[in-house]
Amino acid sequence: MGAIRTEELLLNVGPQHPSTHGVFRIIVKLDGEIITEATPVMGYLHRGTEKLAENLNFTQIIPYTDRMDYVSAMTNNYVLCHAVEKMMGLEVPERAEFLRLIVMEMQRVASHLVWWGTYLLDIGAMSPFLFAFRDRETIVQLFNELSGARLTYNYMRVGGVKWDAPPGWLDKVRAFIPYMEKKIEEYDRLVSGNEIFLSRIQGIGRYDAETAIRYGLSGANLRCTGVQWDLRRNEPYSLYDRFEFDVPVGKNGDCYDRYLLRLEEIRQSLRILRQALEQMPEGGETMGKVPRAIRPPAGESYVAIESPRGEIGCHIVSKGKAEPYRLKFRRPSFVNLQILPKLLVGETMTNLITILGGIDIVVGEVDA
Amino acid sequence: MKGMLKGMGVTLKALTAPKVTTSYPDTPYMMPERYRGIQHFIPELCIVCNQCARICPTECITLTGKPNPDPEKKGKVIDTFDLNFEICILCDLCTEVCPTEAIVMTGNFELAAYSRDELYKDREWLTDNNTRVREDNNNIGAPQKGGAK
Amino acid sequence: MSEHQEDTKDVTSRETGEVEKKAEGEASEAADKADGKVIEADKADSEAPVDKVQSEAAQVGVKAEGEAPAPASEGAASEATAAEAEREAKRQAAAEARAARAAAKAAAEAGGAEGGAPAPAAPAERPARAPRAAAGAAADAAPAAPKEPSPLQPQLDAAAALVRELVDVDAIEEAYVNELGSHMPTLVIRPPYLRRTAELFHAHEALGCSYLRNVSGVDYETHMEVVYHLVNMASGQRYALKARADRSDPVLDSVTPVWETANWNEREIYDLLGIHFKGHPDLRRIMMPDDWIGHPLRKDYEPLDPEV
Repeated sequence: MGAIRTEELLLNVGPQHPSTHGVFRIIVKLDGEIITEATPVMGYLHRGTEKLAENLNFTQIIPYTDRMDYVSAMTNNYVLCHAVEKMMGLEVPERAEFLRLIVMEMQRVASHLVWWGTYLLDIGAMSPFLFAFRDRETIVQLFNELSGARLTYNYMRVGGVKWDAPPGWLDKVRAFIPYMEKKIEEYDRLVSGNEIFLSRIQGIGRYDAETAIRYGLSGANLRCTGVQWDLRRNEPYSLYDRFEFDVPVGKNGDCYDRYLLRLEEIRQSLRILRQALEQMPEGGETMGKVPRAIRPPAGESYVAIESPRGEIGCHIVSKGKAEPYRLKFRRPSFVNLQILPKLLVGETMTNLITILGGIDIVVGEVDA
Repeated sequence: MKGMLKGMGVTLKALTAPKVTTSYPDTPYMMPERYRGIQHFIPELCIVCNQCARICPTECITLTGKPNPDPEKKGKVIDTFDLNFEICILCDLCTEVCPTEAIVMTGNFELAAYSRDELYKDREWLTDNNTRVREDNNNIGAPQKGGAK
Repeated sequence: MSEHQEDTKDVTSRETGEVEKKAEGEASEAADKADGKVIEADKADSEAPVDKVQSEAAQVGVKAEGEAPAPASEGAASEATAAEAEREAKRQAAAEARAARAAAKAAAEAGGAEGGAPAPAAPAERPARAPRAAAGAAADAAPAAPKEPSPLQPQLDAAAALVRELVDVDAIEEAYVNELGSHMPTLVIRPPYLRRTAELFHAHEALGCSYLRNVSGVDYETHMEVVYHLVNMASGQRYALKARADRSDPVLDSVTPVWETANWNEREIYDLLGIHFKGHPDLRRIMMPDDWIGHPLRKDYEPLDPEV
C-alpha cells in the first residue's frame, strides 16, 4: 500500500446527471472510492414560486403548485386548496371531496411507480422502469381524461374541484385497481427477491428513529425506522378517517425498508381507492359555495398533508387580500434531503446513488 | 439464485403480453376530450371584458378592443388579441372565466416552432386554429372563482 | 352575468330573514350571503365598488382594511329595493360595530386572539358583520357576546407557564391561540430567550416537541419574523413559536443545535430574507447562486438586473 500515492478527489456529481433526479449537484470528496464528505448544492431549479405567489390570487397560484412536485401534482394542489379552505371555513361538497381523495391516492400510486422505476433504473435494472411507466401511463391517461393535462393538472380549486369525472371514468378506475394489484405482486416477484438487488440495498443508508425525527424526515423515510407517523392517520384531513388502511412501518431504517414500505403503500392506496369508489356518492356538486373573491381573513395558518414524499405543508400569512402576504411551502424533499450528507460519509460511490434514490426527491420540490 | 429466476420468469412472461406502444407519429395521437392544448379564439363572441387577461397567472394575454362599429350596438369588439405562447402554461383559467366562451382550448399539442417569433400568437392565428376544438369547457362564466387581481 | 343578477334578486328578498343569521359558525354559504347582503343590496348595478366591498363581505371575521367599506356602503346610491329603512339601520349597526371593533382591536392588540374565522360566538342580534370582539372588548354597540376561549387554551397556558417558569419570566412576548390556523397555540418569544425556549420545548417531557415541522420566515415591513411549527408526535399536540427580529439588522439564534431540521430551512431564510442566524453551523446561500446580492423574498427587493 505504501507504493501507491493516493490523494483526495473532489468529484462533482454535476447538475446534469441521469441519476440525481433532476438538476441537483453533489460535491463529493473521495478517498479512493469512499466518500469522506458530500455537500449538496441546489437552487438550479429555483423558480421563485413563493415570491411570485405574493402577486397572484389563490386560483392563479394553483397552476404554480402543480409545478413544484411535478410527479405528484395533485397533492400539491390539494395542500393549497385545503389550507385556504380551512382558513376561510369553506365546506367542500362530498362528491368533490371524494374525487379529490381518489385522485390523490391514484397520484400516490403513480408517484411511487415513478420512484420505483427510476430507482431500479439507477441501480441498474432496465425492465422495471418500463413496467412502471407502462402502468403509470394508465393513470396519467386517466388524469388526462379527467383534468385535461398529463402532468400539471390544475384540477382542484378552492372549494372543490374544477369539474366532475367524465362518464365512464370511475369505471375505468374501478377496473384499474385489480389490474394494478396484480401488477404489484408481479413487481414484487420481479425485484424484491433478486439477490443482486438485495445485496445492493440491504443495510445501506441506515439511520435510527431518533436521527430521523431530529432531521425532520417524513413519509417513508421516517416510517422505515419504526415511527408511526402518517398524517393521514395522525392528523386526518379530507375523508381519510372513513377508510380502513394500514400504515406500514419498517424496522431497520435502511434502503431496503424504504423500498418495501413504498411498495406496501401502493397496495394500501389501492385499498383506499377501492373503498372510496364504493362509498362515493352518485351525484353532487363539484364546487362548494365559494365567495366571488377568495380572500382568507387576515392571519396565518399552517396545514400539512401526506404527499407521496412526506409531509407537504402550506403556511399562509394573509392580510385579508386576494393575494397571500406570504406563502411558504414546507416541501418534503427539501427537508428529507438534509440527511444526505450525513448518510454518505463512509459510503462508496455506488451507494451514493442508491441512498439518494431511496430518499425519493423531486428537485422541483427541493428548490420550489 | 432463486430470486433472480423468479424475476426472470416475470420478464419472460412479459414478452408474451400485448404491446402497449403506439406508433406515433405515424398514427396521430388523439388526446382525450378535455385536453388543454393551444387556444382557439372566436372574435365574434368576445366582449372585451378582460377577464382572461386578468386571470392569466403569467400575464401572457394582452388584448385591445375598439368600440363596436355598428352604431346600434353597445359595447366593444375585439381589435387585437395577443397570446404570448412562450409563457402560456396551458392552465385553462382563461377559458374558465370567459363569460362567452370566446376563448377555448383545442386538442392541438404539436406546437413546436423553429423560431421564437412564431410563438407569439396573434388574433388571426388563434382564430384559424379551429381543429379539435374542445366542446366541454365547464365554463363557469363570469368570474366566480379567481376574482380581482 | 346572469347568475349575478339572480344573486342580487334572491338576496334582497331574503334580506330580512337572513340578516339575523350569524355570519360565522355556518358554512361559507351563510357567511357569504350574510356578509354580502349588506353590501350586495346596495350595489346591484355597479361592479367597481362590489369587488372592494365584497372583499370585506367575503371575509368571515377579521379584515385588514376595516375603514374602506364604510364609505362604500354608506355612499352607495339607494336602490329601488324594498326595506330601505332596514338597510339604514343595518348600516348604522355595521358602522357602530366597526367602530367598536376598531376600538377593541386597539385595546386588545397584545393579548387578543388573532384571526377568528369560525369562532363559536353566540349569534348576534344586530345584523352586523362578525364582530371580532376579543375577550373584554369595549364593544357596547356591537353584540357583546364574548368569544369562547379556544379548546386549546389550557394547552397554551400550560406551555406558557412552563416557559415563564423555566426559561425566564419575560421570555414570552405574546401567547395566543391562533384560531384561524386550526387552533394552533402560538407563543411569541423574545429573541434573547429563543434558544433556551427551543431547548425546553424539545426536552421537557410535558412538551416533548421532538419534531420540528417547518420554519418559515416572514417579512412584515416593520419587522421580520420566523415561525417554527412544532409537534409532539406522541400526543399530537402542536405548537408554533415565533420570534421577531429587527428589520434593518435581523439576527436571531439558530435552533439547529436543537432540531437538525432547521439547518437548511434557516439557510433558505437567510438566503431569501437575510435573517442572520447565530450559531448556525454553515450559514450560506442555498437557493440563489453564491455570489448573489440581495435577498429576493424581501418586500423591498429590487433585482439589480430586471431581466432576471
